[in-house]
Amino acid sequence: MLSILVWAPILGAILIGCLPQTLVAQRGRQISLIIASLLLAYSLYLASQFDLMNPGLQFSESLPWIDSLGLTYQLGVDGLSLPLVVINSLLTWLAILSSDPRINRPRLYYVLLLVLGSAVAGAFLSQNLLLFFLFYEVELIPLYLIIAIWGGARRGYAATKFLIYTAVSGVLILSAFFGLSLLSGFSSFDYGVLQSHTLPLTTQLILLSTLLVGFGIKIPIVPLHTWLPDAHVEAPTPASVLLAGVLLKLGTYGLLRFGLGLFPEAWKACSSVLAAIAVLSVLYGSFAAIAQTDMKKIVAYSSVGHMGYILLAAAAGTSLSLLGAIAQMISHGLISALLFLGVGVVYAKTGTRDINVLRGLLSPERGLPVIGSLMIVGAMASAGIPGMMGFIAEFIVYRSSFEVFPIQTLLCMIGTGLTAVYFLIMINRVFFGRLPDHLANLPPVRWMDRIPAVIVTMLIIFFGIQPSWMMRWSEKTAVMIATERLGRELTPLVAVEPDRVAMDLPLSQPPVALKAPFVPAASLPASLPVLRLNDLKNDVQSD
Amino acid sequence: MNQLLYQTSWWVPVYGLAGAVLTLPWSIGLVRRTGPRPAAYINILMTVLALIHTGFVLWAVWDHPPERLLIPWLSLPGFDLWLTFVTSRTSVGAAFVITALSLLAQVFALGYLEKDWALARFYALMGFFEGAMTGIALSDSLFLSYALLEMLTLSTYLLVGFWYAQPLVVSAARDAFLTKRVGDLLLLMGVVTLSTIAGSLDFTHLDLWAATVQLSPTVAGFLGIALLAGPTGKCAQFPLNLWLDEAMEGPNPASILRNSVVVACGAYVLIRLEPILALSPLALNVLMILGGMTAIGASLVAIAQIDIKRALSHSTSAYLGLVFLAVGTQQEEIALMLLLTHGIAKALLFMSVGSVILTTSTQDLTEMGGLGSRMPATITAYMVGAAASIGLLPLGCFWAMLEWAQGVWATMPWLIGILLLVNGLTGFNLVRMFGLVFGGQPKPKTRRAPEVIWLMALPMVTLTIVTLLLPLMLYQWRGLPDWSQVNPLTIGLLLGSGLVGCGAGVFFYLNPKVEKPVSLVGKSIRETLAYDFCIDRLYKISVVLGVVQGARFTAWFDRYVVDGFVNLVGVASIFSGESLKYTISGQSRNYLLTLFVGVILALMMLGWFYWSWYF
Amino acid sequence: MLTATPPTHPLAPIIDRLEQGGALLPESAENVVEVVGILKSYGTVLDAYQINLTYIAEHQFLVLFPFFKYFNGEVTLSKLLKHWWHDRINYEFSEYCMKAMFWHGAHALDAYLDSEEYRQRATAAIQAKLKSNPFMGGLNRLFPEFLLEQVRVLCYYSALGQFWNVMSRMFLILSDRYDRGEIKTIADVVDHIRNGLVEAAADPITYKVVIQGQAYEIIPQSAGLTFLMDTAVPYVEAVFFRSFPFFGTVSYNAQAHQISEEQADFNYGALFADPLPIGGAGIPPTLLMQDMLHFIPPYLDEIYLKGLRGRDDMRVKICLSFQKSMFCVTTAAIQGLAPFPLTTTDPEQRQQNRAYLENWMDRFVTSRLLSVQ
Repeated sequence: MLSILVWAPILGAILIGCLPQTLVAQRGRQISLIIASLLLAYSLYLASQFDLMNPGLQFSESLPWIDSLGLTYQLGVDGLSLPLVVINSLLTWLAILSSDPRINRPRLYYVLLLVLGSAVAGAFLSQNLLLFFLFYEVELIPLYLIIAIWGGARRGYAATKFLIYTAVSGVLILSAFFGLSLLSGFSSFDYGVLQSHTLPLTTQLILLSTLLVGFGIKIPIVPLHTWLPDAHVEAPTPASVLLAGVLLKLGTYGLLRFGLGLFPEAWKACSSVLAAIAVLSVLYGSFAAIAQTDMKKIVAYSSVGHMGYILLAAAAGTSLSLLGAIAQMISHGLISALLFLGVGVVYAKTGTRDINVLRGLLSPERGLPVIGSLMIVGAMASAGIPGMMGFIAEFIVYRSSFEVFPIQTLLCMIGTGLTAVYFLIMINRVFFGRLPDHLANLPPVRWMDRIPAVIVTMLIIFFGIQPSWMMRWSEKTAVMIATERLGRELTPLVAVEPDRVAMDLPLSQPPVALKAPFVPAASLPASLPVLRLNDLKNDVQSD
Repeated sequence: MNQLLYQTSWWVPVYGLAGAVLTLPWSIGLVRRTGPRPAAYINILMTVLALIHTGFVLWAVWDHPPERLLIPWLSLPGFDLWLTFVTSRTSVGAAFVITALSLLAQVFALGYLEKDWALARFYALMGFFEGAMTGIALSDSLFLSYALLEMLTLSTYLLVGFWYAQPLVVSAARDAFLTKRVGDLLLLMGVVTLSTIAGSLDFTHLDLWAATVQLSPTVAGFLGIALLAGPTGKCAQFPLNLWLDEAMEGPNPASILRNSVVVACGAYVLIRLEPILALSPLALNVLMILGGMTAIGASLVAIAQIDIKRALSHSTSAYLGLVFLAVGTQQEEIALMLLLTHGIAKALLFMSVGSVILTTSTQDLTEMGGLGSRMPATITAYMVGAAASIGLLPLGCFWAMLEWAQGVWATMPWLIGILLLVNGLTGFNLVRMFGLVFGGQPKPKTRRAPEVIWLMALPMVTLTIVTLLLPLMLYQWRGLPDWSQVNPLTIGLLLGSGLVGCGAGVFFYLNPKVEKPVSLVGKSIRETLAYDFCIDRLYKISVVLGVVQGARFTAWFDRYVVDGFVNLVGVASIFSGESLKYTISGQSRNYLLTLFVGVILALMMLGWFYWSWYF
Repeated sequence: MLTATPPTHPLAPIIDRLEQGGALLPESAENVVEVVGILKSYGTVLDAYQINLTYIAEHQFLVLFPFFKYFNGEVTLSKLLKHWWHDRINYEFSEYCMKAMFWHGAHALDAYLDSEEYRQRATAAIQAKLKSNPFMGGLNRLFPEFLLEQVRVLCYYSALGQFWNVMSRMFLILSDRYDRGEIKTIADVVDHIRNGLVEAAADPITYKVVIQGQAYEIIPQSAGLTFLMDTAVPYVEAVFFRSFPFFGTVSYNAQAHQISEEQADFNYGALFADPLPIGGAGIPPTLLMQDMLHFIPPYLDEIYLKGLRGRDDMRVKICLSFQKSMFCVTTAAIQGLAPFPLTTTDPEQRQQNRAYLENWMDRFVTSRLLSVQ
């Protein structure tokens, strides 16, 4: 029952809305936390029931709604959306957990957070274009209000900018959807039906460009990104966590699901443009981040850069690169959540995010040593240090995109180096050095402030060490998209038996890009003895 | 039994990492009533376990051919990543040396840092350090080695930044990280390229692949240089050498490891990559040029240092330059031997220097003197370490240098010139330091100098004995060069250069008649050398300038062009730019929202009517 | 007052206060509670330190591997486990203070340790100790200064132990008197300490070690070393003023020249140290604060818990109080060493006192004195 993910939070929101104000003021956080925990548990249960071998939609639901409009209530989940649905549940839970217990107007706040979670889940699950659009639009109202009501000093400006940008994005997406529905001649907005359209390439290209701009605003890609730093800077921490963690993913998800999924020929035709935009986003975001002095802006521009990797991998469009794109979505979701949680605590305790004012926060007695350490983990994960999930996701992205776009990939890799630069600047300024006297009397940090960040950190490290747990959900779906939609062949570079890897088999077809003369090694001479862990069992048994 | 040992060889890095994780209760402040020492003991215990385990594996593999151990890690459509380990005499031997030195350094640190309350964090980082290094030693996969090199970069950053409240430490940690990161980034590019064109990242496969593949010179050249960049950063070779100098701000026990085995890890990976570098003469030439420049330049710079740690650290760069040259002339065996002999001698020198620093509370060579008679363990360690570093007495480096010279004699005899120069200059430098620290009359800061406590003296004496026994062990393991094959001229030259260097050192620095400070060259030359040929200025006008200006320009462009344009022309202009720039009243905000919801509804209605009309 | 010297010195108000019988630390009820409370805890810790220092000096004489030097001769399994769990006093800090005195040098003691008399007495003890140890005997012949230097260190162990023995008792009695209501002001605290110092001023400092039943006097009473001038004053100089640069805050890089060439210019001592980084890496006084943490009297603990960070920053708060208390000890020393009573009304004496005080104040300019006002 996927509907539970959509409607349970709405019911919860209604419940909170009906409770008396005094009760909500005292218990609102706990109640919404319980709802969010149940949702998280339910999405994990769904994941456990998910059939890893099935590339298509699972748990599908369908109800007719407004037939004349082609709007049906169709939900379904596949390997592309499942991880995002789970991340959404997780981050909604963390957002509530990290909310200020004494927040103003708690009833409205928690109602909005729950509605937001519901709408995002709905958008990831929708299998009808119009339904997707509805959820896509519904999602931005609670976020707008959260920024506009609980935001920082310039919240009005930021919220309005956010609203206008996203509204434009919505209008463009809607018009592309209408265009497709009309021109293809299907009287439907059913995703499955529309996939079989036979539009000419030019039309596809026009529709895809419209979608690209529409979702490009959401991702955001340069130069459509300027709403993001402003929105982040003014948004309260939980909203920033959700914004960076899942809402931006709506853009890349939409691009993969609807851009690539509906217009594969056009996608292939303009993939090099997409890759170029990705390079621009990565380098632009990274360079801009270096010059920032507000910690939130650094993380926000870092998001612009890191979302570029997803676009690059999506443009490459091989099975592996699509998998890399999904992995990067998950990894960026968690890493940016960690960084925003950290910045949130720093801001809550010190009242500033200016890296020229902050200093020495690692100070063990009067600083924020644990938060500082977690921020270092987050920064290093973002900079692609192995052992954390950012590394493997980025490595897969690079490795797979390199086959298709070698130069663009190499340029994007510079972004990783620049990530190290700006985060190191931030860490060194904010956390190293002597704690200045004006920061010597900070309020105490409680474990409640740290727990959300600790949880995310543990996940980041866990998936960094055991990445197959993050990738296995999407494997089949990625392969299906690449082979069936994009017509790419799945040619394993490495044969199944890696000990003989490819030494007696042809290593791979010569990569298209490098055009290097390539002679596969004939065979593995005097082959080295190889052990595998499984052998151990046999040995023990035979002895 | 042997099988079991091979199959568990991947535990060796795990011990260090587990030790690091176990320190968490102390390092994050969960335990506050009692002190952090249990964390140190746990790590030392884990290192002991690792050492025993490595010892057993070493014993098991000694007379056996190398075996590979594959651990499946990540299997994706069309792409498999296996963590491959190899247990050969070399790899396990390297892991053993690393673990042993790590153990000594950790015991040393118990004394050196006995008054440091952040002991748990230090040991966590040492465990991490050790785990990553033993992993590199045992790894048979470029992917795994790359990953571990990056983890070394991180732990170097955190170890150099251990005293994070000290301003110079902050910039040193940053520079160490970023410099290494430049190298790592290029290496990553090489790894990705190689993974794509070779299909596998296991060194074993890469060797076979390299033996048969034919790449265009451009691709091979770029690939080779990219792969070379990582080790260049790790081994502190020109132009990525300055971080090692700055990294001396870190605690001395970490410096012991950094100057002996950490830099060696970079070279170790380089040695494994040599077959691929050899695909491109260009890459090999670059390798030799960098190595040669660093060997000579760093030897000169070392002599101009007045800081006791820096005088040694530059000489580390110089020796790694010799290793680079050995790899460039494709003599991996000799490169490994030089890494071993240099590593042990340098670790010993750094221990000795550490006890000098702790006793005198200064690192300034000009403020020292007359320590010799009161610090027997320290002076012995220094003398043995120094003797084992140069080609003069038949200790470790003499044999390595001799083989080095033998190796290049036939192919590129002029390279011997570099070796002799490095040997002579290092000899001079080490004797200079000896004279300034141990010789002469006590100065105010060295007037009261008792020998260090046993926790520092014990590892120092142990390593002294090991250093003295090293030639015997080498003889046992692989045999030293046969006298009949040794060219007497090489020996003569080697001994001659060592003698001249040390002799000059004795003349200037152990001779009470020569006025101190000794001024051998003009002030400008001395200053240039003391400040490392002003390489930092080179950084400033190249990479740093590029990044800073790029960032400034992008930020400016973002603020005034992109955002300005959007605010001006975009939808925002409808609502007048001014009103948007500042907070708008609640009323107009609600108005906006209503408007927005209205637009959506209108759009949908429109679509619906359109639809009904259409059909 | 009688003579109105123009207040030229930057710390002139404090000079005025001292001349009126006040202390470096301003008089206030909170200060009294803090100072007495912390001195109680400090007294307890010092007592443990001095017992151990004396034990090491007397019973760990030239032990090559002093494995149990912090056990005070009592080695039991439970004590060993507690030791390994680091559930113990951080005696390392007492050795750190000892090393500061040793390295900076206590004037007369230092001179004695360079004398021929010391050399003969120490050699006799060393010979006795090495009789049964040919290896150490050989080492001693190779490096004749090695063990002599070690014995010099042991002399300082003993001297500091004797000094702290007096001080710890003094602080604990102060606390008892406070509990009895006899101490009400900072001036009372200073008086108590000054009287204690004066009382013990002429106590001899000696060092004798028993080897195989035979006693060896290494510092005999005839050397003429006394409590006040040969331990208290050098202690104030070495530990309160100079000490060592902390790894955690000062760069040892020789090219950066952050550390002065002159030991006399060192100002890293207890009266100068920055309390904020306490607890961090490379800050040795953390050990002392940690030790005192266990003995804070309940009334002071209550005050600390009222702070913004509660238990988080106890050691910083302890350090702040500790510095206040050390300024009281310094006041007592200043009063005790003054050429004339500071409150004198004789213009001639006042003039000399003024010069004496300005001399002290010059050294306080960069200290934490102003921040405790």
